[in-house]
Amino acid sequence: MNNPDLATNAAHERKLRDGAILLPVFGAFLLVSPLITVFSGITTVFGLPLIFVYVFGVWLGLVLIARAMARRLDKG
Amino acid sequence: MLSLNTLIAASLGYALLLFTIAFWAERRAQAGHIGWLRSPFVYTLSISVYCTGWTFYGAVGSAARNGFEFVTIYLGPTLVFIGWWWLLRKLLRIGRAQRITSIADLISSRYGKSTTLAVLVTLLAVIGSTPYIALQLQSITLSFSVFEGGGNANVTAFWVAAGLAVFTIFFGTRNVDANERHHGVVTAIAVEAIVKLVALLSVGVFVVWGIGGGPAEIFAKAPPEMLRGDSIFSARWVSLTMLSAMAIITLPRMFQVIVVENADEKHLATASWAFPGYLLLMSLFVLPIAIAGNALMPEGSNPDLYVLSLPLSQGQENLALLAFLGGFSSATSMVIIAAIALSTMVSNHIIMPLWLRFAPQRPETSGDVRTILLRSRRLSIAGILLLGYLYFRLTGGSAALASIGLIAFAGMAQIIPSLLGGLFWRGANRMGALLGLLSGFILWAYTLFLPSFEGGFILSQSAIEHGPFGLSFLTPNALFGLTGYDPLVHSLFWSMALNITLFILGSLLTTPRPLERIQSSQFVDVFRLDKSTGSYLVSRSATAEDLFTLAQRILGADPAQRLFTEMARQQGKAQGLPDATDKLVQTLERELAGSVGAASAHAMVSQIAGGGTVSVDELMKIADETAQILEYSQQLENQSHRLELAMQDLRAANAQLTEMGAQKDAFLSQVSHELRTPMTSIRSFSEILQDSNNLDLPDAKRFLGIIQDESVRLTRLLDEILDLSHLESGRGQLLLEPVVLQDVIEKSLNATGALLEEANVQVLNALPEAPVMVFANFDRLAQVFINLISNTVKYGRGESPKLAIAVKLSPRSAAVTVIDNGPGIAPADSKRVFEKFTRLSEATLAGSAGLGLPISREIMRNLHGDLTLKPSRHGAVFEVRIPLA
Repeated sequence: MNNPDLATNAAHERKLRDGAILLPVFGAFLLVSPLITVFSGITTVFGLPLIFVYVFGVWLGLVLIARAMARRLDKG
Repeated sequence: MLSLNTLIAASLGYALLLFTIAFWAERRAQAGHIGWLRSPFVYTLSISVYCTGWTFYGAVGSAARNGFEFVTIYLGPTLVFIGWWWLLRKLLRIGRAQRITSIADLISSRYGKSTTLAVLVTLLAVIGSTPYIALQLQSITLSFSVFEGGGNANVTAFWVAAGLAVFTIFFGTRNVDANERHHGVVTAIAVEAIVKLVALLSVGVFVVWGIGGGPAEIFAKAPPEMLRGDSIFSARWVSLTMLSAMAIITLPRMFQVIVVENADEKHLATASWAFPGYLLLMSLFVLPIAIAGNALMPEGSNPDLYVLSLPLSQGQENLALLAFLGGFSSATSMVIIAAIALSTMVSNHIIMPLWLRFAPQRPETSGDVRTILLRSRRLSIAGILLLGYLYFRLTGGSAALASIGLIAFAGMAQIIPSLLGGLFWRGANRMGALLGLLSGFILWAYTLFLPSFEGGFILSQSAIEHGPFGLSFLTPNALFGLTGYDPLVHSLFWSMALNITLFILGSLLTTPRPLERIQSSQFVDVFRLDKSTGSYLVSRSATAEDLFTLAQRILGADPAQRLFTEMARQQGKAQGLPDATDKLVQTLERELAGSVGAASAHAMVSQIAGGGTVSVDELMKIADETAQILEYSQQLENQSHRLELAMQDLRAANAQLTEMGAQKDAFLSQVSHELRTPMTSIRSFSEILQDSNNLDLPDAKRFLGIIQDESVRLTRLLDEILDLSHLESGRGQLLLEPVVLQDVIEKSLNATGALLEEANVQVLNALPEAPVMVFANFDRLAQVFINLISNTVKYGRGESPKLAIAVKLSPRSAAVTVIDNGPGIAPADSKRVFEKFTRLSEATLAGSAGLGLPISREIMRNLHGDLTLKPSRHGAVFEVRIPLA
């Protein structure tokens, strides 16, 4: 971040930290809530069951978001 | 088919490879080439010890039986790791700051270094982990059994356990410091992590594309109820996710790799996404393998072994061997880390305290403790593996063992309320943790652990089904009539409910001890503590240097030096610091108590000596502050004392000045008065002379005579004033020479002869015959005597006036007394006679003022003598003291 404005940087970092705290809550909402039943029909995506695609898709998404966040948090 | 011999050779070869890798890593680390040994990826791979043999084989089995549910075991840890910023980071920071060695140590440390808690958690960890270790042994023996021959399960299990014990003892107990990294072990574990991942992925790829014809085909074979999600979200789904999330923190082996073996806090950032990614890959092919196994394997095959049996059934022996090694890796890595973690706990919290209590003598040197610690760790490792083996022998093969994984999770999860409460709630205290843990564990054991033996241990079969003694409301799986739930959910509900309730109530209703309070803020506010100091915390033993530095800070350099030299001398040491014995600690504490108070001294010294929690830096800060405050207050005291003295001086000076000012005023008014009198007569007579034209000559002459007399008097007065000021200022250096005292007195009497005769004064002269030589100025001394004699004539008149002059000799000086028989001088006036222009009481000196006596006294002082008024009953007695020549 080349922005010399310290206040902006601080606000940015705070948002990042808040995001890091919210990420598992978000993950839990997607994976450990009744929401999951929505994707549990017999529908298939490219021959794969929807629930399989949903769970592993969300999982992969969480890993990628966590990776992006970890890289930024680690710098700070 | 693979022969048993090939399998054994492969296992041994693999084990040898692990030994070599561990040995090489250890050597590298010792040589200082740590490099990638402590890279974030090695750290992440070591965390994969979470995936044990139970998950390697069992996940497929679980998927074959319960469908998608297996994934919860991986989702929990995923959520915990992507939330690393919130929990794991804090755990790591605390683990580093407090030099935490195990989960038991963490709980005990948080709640005021409570030994009871440490023992409790250790026992529970052993109870929970022993079946788990047995489970790993079982998974290895089962995997052997898939291959032809299979061998004797018990023999296999024994040799595996023995081999693991040797490996763990060899690489796990190289250092006493449980907080140091086991580079060899961790590297070997990381290699095993790669092997098991590659193995499972290879089997998965082979199953999906090798025999299944692609993912869509595989899933098409799945029985519909396997993936039907109507019931996917259930209490069990939530419970399992929560359980695995809690287990990733509390399982002894997980705590060991995540917190204790962590080399750098930054590695966690990488692990936060890399570990969930690893878990994702590990579970990606679980479902396809399970589906393929169900479809392809004959009826009655063990689903837990599909990973092995599927490749074997397809003739893929090398793949089967790889899968076997993957399972072997999963099982052995878990056992190794669990054994290290448990042995640390057992030896630190059970064996060492017992040894210290019952040891014949206190250890005086650290070498003793070191040997005993290492020995107790090694014994613990062997003991734990033996226990696991015995457990396997006793319950081996039973279905009970298969479910033990989740049961162990649920047991260790009881630590969570105390752990999270300890990290985020300042008010959590020891009593709450104790009550919560104990109640949670009892309920867990009653509702889940004991029933898992199916009547084989403590609880009978009938008690499990109908409640003990026929009390149906105490039925373990339906406590208080709560039925219709999965036993795991049921147990988790009751145990956690009671655990959390008692934890909170206990914390609210009891008062924590001081050390608990200190620790609570050390834990809860760990991020607020000063980062820059990177404070190194005193570990469990005191060093003389630490104590000496502390003493220097508080007592000062020299006293500390003296104290320690003296102590070293008493210990028979010629030089250097004394050993940090109890006596030294006590002595130091006593010494320090004088400086900072008994309580603080005790706290400080016992913090250093007794394995405290306050860092040396912090103690130094306290000591510095105390020293500064002491010094400052001492300075203040000194200053105020000095100020008071100065004030007194100033007050005295002020009083003197005021007096002198008053004297000066009096003097000036006297002088002007004295000068005015002659001036007035001079003026009036000169006016008469000027104004009267018909004045007789005699009258005029008489007037002129008066004017002249008055002028003379005025001149004399002015001369006297000048003389006095001259003498007082000390400017007029008198020429001093030896003179004969009798001559001076004779001359004075001659000079005043006319006066004496006129007043009819009788002079009684009693001078010694031999001439007395004094060191003085002849004229000035004569002036003094003339003054005294004329004073007598003027003021000392009696009925028949008499004057007596006597000389008394002492070794160094001569004292001349001049005595008259007049009315004398009132004692009240005795001091004032020497003041300038003093008007003494009417009776004494007839209303006159003069400078005679002040001048005389000044002269005598300039002659290094003195003039004093001696108290007497009749008449005035003046004494003139002159130094002898």
